[in-house]
Amino acid sequence: MSKLITIVDYGMGNLWSVRSAVRYLGYNAVVSSKPSEIANADALILPGVGSFRTAMLALKNSRLDEAILEAVSNRERKIIGICLGMQLLAMHSTEGGETKGLGLIPTEVERFDIDVMSRVKVPHIGFNEVRSQDQSVLFKNIAPSSDFYFVHSYCLRAGEFHGCHAICHYGQDFIAAYEHENIFATQFHPEKSQTNGLKLLNNFLDY
Amino acid sequence: MLKKRIIFTLLYDNGQFVLSRNFRLQKVGNLEWLQKNYNFAHISFFIDELVVLDISGGVRNQSAFCETLEALAEGCFVPIAAGGGVRSVDQARSLLRSGADKIVVNTPIFSQPALLKELAQEFGQQCIVGSLDLKRTQDGDYEILIESGAYALDGVAKDELQKLSDAIVGEWYLNSVDRDGTGQGYDLELIDQLPTDCLVPIILAGGAGNASHIATGLADPRVDAVATAHLFNFIGDGLKQARSSLLLAGVELAKWPAVDALVDDCSSNQLVTK
Repeated sequence: MSKLITIVDYGMGNLWSVRSAVRYLGYNAVVSSKPSEIANADALILPGVGSFRTAMLALKNSRLDEAILEAVSNRERKIIGICLGMQLLAMHSTEGGETKGLGLIPTEVERFDIDVMSRVKVPHIGFNEVRSQDQSVLFKNIAPSSDFYFVHSYCLRAGEFHGCHAICHYGQDFIAAYEHENIFATQFHPEKSQTNGLKLLNNFLDY
Repeated sequence: MLKKRIIFTLLYDNGQFVLSRNFRLQKVGNLEWLQKNYNFAHISFFIDELVVLDISGGVRNQSAFCETLEALAEGCFVPIAAGGGVRSVDQARSLLRSGADKIVVNTPIFSQPALLKELAQEFGQQCIVGSLDLKRTQDGDYEILIESGAYALDGVAKDELQKLSDAIVGEWYLNSVDRDGTGQGYDLELIDQLPTDCLVPIILAGGAGNASHIATGLADPRVDAVATAHLFNFIGDGLKQARSSLLLAGVELAKWPAVDALVDDCSSNQLVTK
């Protein structure tokens, strides 16, 4: 229960509000940019706001990419990626030029397809309905259709693979939440989604 | 489907929160007052978003504003947009590091277009809320006021806004100077001043006095969110009741369980109850 939650600081994103939500839920959270601390963490939160390419470069330059993979792939610690943090866990993104991600979620990150989305505004900003599946860790005791706060222009393409636990529709279907073994991710911001988000974060922290 | 949003705007002036009526300010109290008499931590569970604007006259004390922002952000689990006097990327970064998710800019849209580009490059376009203070002129057009309403730009708003490149902000926050603080309802004509092919979300502000004004604003298909800065019209359970009456009336607003239910659910760990 008294596991230490480490929030990865790579210079991008609203770490402050993620930490405030984790603390509100009664957990101890530290913000760290040290590869050794991140590699040895009990649980990781990878937040992020900004551009995929810049973020990936920041992770690489500070060797945090290796530290995250050490914690998650070798030491099998749980991680949750939030918003851009979710996208960074995917294989590639087209944002800012084709860029390789951490490769923990087997799908691609793409911009919302404007052609499909006639008259739909990008970025996708606001609370939207998320449809989750049964037996999800993240959505335990959360209604199967619940509202969460999104702000993004790129998204993870939905596909027939394990771990797509929640879908959101905005002009097209995309992955709103992913979970497979120790890898968790949400495109929405649980720390900005009122009690729905706090509950989901608590489910992750509690797991 | 994407839900519409109710935004609460807090106006900050040198350590005090203020009410504004047609841009004339009246002090109501400091942060302590806001927490104590207004129970802001509770009220924040009934809004979709918070905007905090530093409208201090003279030289702004940004570090004091950032401290207030941090204190507000603690226990407020909705997106926060902050601004007022942002003239550099560093100032924007300070706000983002103090709990803001978005930056509100007003005067620089016209005086420093390069700054908007830099902000978008650094933090993403979705991070920039362009705030426009619009005032109706005698001949029925609108003019754009800058520097907290102190100066009017030459030209009519419609033409000036047409000239802007379409992707400089992530959202528009349209404020009616004439309706500001009057409680007479929103001015929907503000939206006509934006190009018709505007593809970023639109927030309508200025004039909300009750729940039906909010409903009227949100009923316009072009409006994504409405904002109110009127502390007293929505005091006590005002926002909570406005929200439930709008939901009952079928307005597409986000829903979430009451915070008490969360406290019960999470009782296994020491949830900080506020």
